[in-house]
Amino acid sequence: MKRQKLTPYLFLIPGCIILGAFIFYPMLQAIWLSLTEFNMIEDATFIGLENYENLLQDDLFWQTLMNTFIYLIGVVPALVIIPIFLAVLVNQNIKGISFFRSAFFIPVVTSLVVAGIAWDWVYKEHGLLNYALEVVGIITEPIGWLTSTSTALFAVMVVTVWKGLGYYMIIYLAGLQSIPSDLYEAAKIDGANWWQQVTRITIPMLMPFVLVVSIMSSISAMKVFEEIYVMTGGGPLHSSETLVFYIYTEAFSNLNMGYASAAGVILFIFTLILSIINLKVMGKKGNIR
Amino acid sequence: MKRNQLIFFMFLIAAMVFLAACNDDSTETSGSDSGEDEEITLEFWTMQLQPTFTDYINGMIDDFEADNPNITINWLDVPAGDLEQKILADVSAGNAPDLVNLNPSFGGSLAELDATVNMDEALSDEEIDRYVEGAWEASQLDGETFGIPWYLDTAVTLNNADIYEEAGLDPSQPPETYEEAKEYAEIISEETDKYGYFPSLDLSLPLQHMELMGVPLTNEDGTAAFNTPDGVEVFEYFTELYENNLIPAESLTGDQREGTNFYQSGQVAFGVNFFIAEIEENAPDIYDSTVPSVAITGDSGKKTMSVQNLVVPEQSEHQEAAVDFGLFITSAENQLEFAQLTPILPSSTEALEDPYFTDPPEDADPLELVRITSAEQLPDAELLVPPMDNLNELQTVMYDGFSKAMLGELSPEEALAETEEKWNEIVAE
Repeated sequence: MKRQKLTPYLFLIPGCIILGAFIFYPMLQAIWLSLTEFNMIEDATFIGLENYENLLQDDLFWQTLMNTFIYLIGVVPALVIIPIFLAVLVNQNIKGISFFRSAFFIPVVTSLVVAGIAWDWVYKEHGLLNYALEVVGIITEPIGWLTSTSTALFAVMVVTVWKGLGYYMIIYLAGLQSIPSDLYEAAKIDGANWWQQVTRITIPMLMPFVLVVSIMSSISAMKVFEEIYVMTGGGPLHSSETLVFYIYTEAFSNLNMGYASAAGVILFIFTLILSIINLKVMGKKGNIR
Repeated sequence: MKRNQLIFFMFLIAAMVFLAACNDDSTETSGSDSGEDEEITLEFWTMQLQPTFTDYINGMIDDFEADNPNITINWLDVPAGDLEQKILADVSAGNAPDLVNLNPSFGGSLAELDATVNMDEALSDEEIDRYVEGAWEASQLDGETFGIPWYLDTAVTLNNADIYEEAGLDPSQPPETYEEAKEYAEIISEETDKYGYFPSLDLSLPLQHMELMGVPLTNEDGTAAFNTPDGVEVFEYFTELYENNLIPAESLTGDQREGTNFYQSGQVAFGVNFFIAEIEENAPDIYDSTVPSVAITGDSGKKTMSVQNLVVPEQSEHQEAAVDFGLFITSAENQLEFAQLTPILPSSTEALEDPYFTDPPEDADPLELVRITSAEQLPDAELLVPPMDNLNELQTVMYDGFSKAMLGELSPEEALAETEEKWNEIVAE
């Protein structure tokens, strides 16, 4: 009887060790480092909350935090809503649909460095986007999409959305295929049109998946780094610098590892709060307990 | 339920304690090699030399191992972008390599933390005299030398003769000063649909522009010395170029590779710090019309020298052998062979006396002309931005100052004053 009670926990041990090693131990280590002055070479010196005090007085920290929230507000709704419609579109039994499913998924498997360079060409002053806009007559002078403080962050957001659409579309596609077809048949008999079927059956049944996508895309947006690193380096004038990029710079360029850890802890707290809000708000709609 | 949670939590704690126990924070440092016959393995790291120079480096390693049968060299080549992080992580974990190829600014960061061997003590005066003086001094911080200079470079201007001719300019009379560069940029902009000049503002280049234009960066105590009328002129110069669209906007945001891309795609007529070997490979037509010339400079008349050095971390257990291997790599013979593979200059004075660097061949191609021009400038060249404490942060502060002026967020005077204030805050920390 006792052995029966113990068995499940024995199965948990390997997972716990891996989690402890790669998640909880580094996390606790980061929290400890955030209370120290540490440059990776000399021994860490305990300084209490000084890193946090300095962070709160650092204008650049607030700017990067603001940029991160702008990123979040811009990217998450797009990544939650657009893939639903893409998934509905590719969830048809028509000839050649698998080609479109693959086409939408290609950006997901494309290396971010390659994608960043390709988009860099699109955004250049004499690049594809300005050329197209000039031909259509929307602009007369080329716009420096990545070289202007007012557009750089939004230009990078587009790349994040472009790259994420296919991934979240696949999640929704799995959700769509789990909806029983008899619901639609019943709706049709009741005279529901396509739009009513989408809004009354598809979207409510997809809510658990919306929750997952919402949390995943929020966390991704909070942690955005590669696009910024490859395309703008945080510039011009830190206008596209996000919190993770700031942490990276402080840690590996300026060797302020304790300070960077403090910023990392703050990022963790914000991400945690965001996930809890997501769970509370979406969880009710998705009947998730 | 609570009991179950407690057991679960205990597993987690156990895992963490187990890991913490595995984490060895001790960083034992011992600096001596014991006995000549002891079997030694040296960890040697380079910065992005594979695959182009794999055979060359392996050849050197084979020769050194043949001369020193008890020593085995373990060579690791690390991508340039990852090297700083990798060495930091390994030094932090107490696993530093024995010999590592760094640049003076990052070598200086390690030296600042007393993590490097003092080469003034490790080498004899005779050995020190083998190197170009400016190159030796480039690896000094607070009067101590932390690296052996390996290969060098002096900035050279590359000019696209086709664009010059299209603009009605003489390619054999390229700009040599910042003022001339501006005049040429104006003419090229008016006469063609291309840019004249691409002045990069990457990494330490804003600081270098200041020095070249005759504005000293620091006082004796490291505080800012650049907030002067001359300093304002530097900011005004770049702001005018930017506002009048005489340089690509990417000059401000892009790195030196971006400049090379503009040049090799035929969109820019001239600039310093472009990668000639890359241009030869990617744009043969542009390469054929390239005319190298002396680097653009300002009132100071100074020329820029770039240095790659070899550093022995203090943690190395085989410091003596590592220094010997560093001396072997930087010998005149080995450096001359290296310089014949790629457009770099040796730090060895003996190697520099070779006709390869002094006598241009007839019908020299652009690559050869770059080498000759670069070598001719070497006696007057210096590392304009020597290693200094918190260099990365100071570079960022200066770059932000340039950016604010060029983007019109602040006037040049205001931007410079703010830069001075932030610079001094960092120095005071």
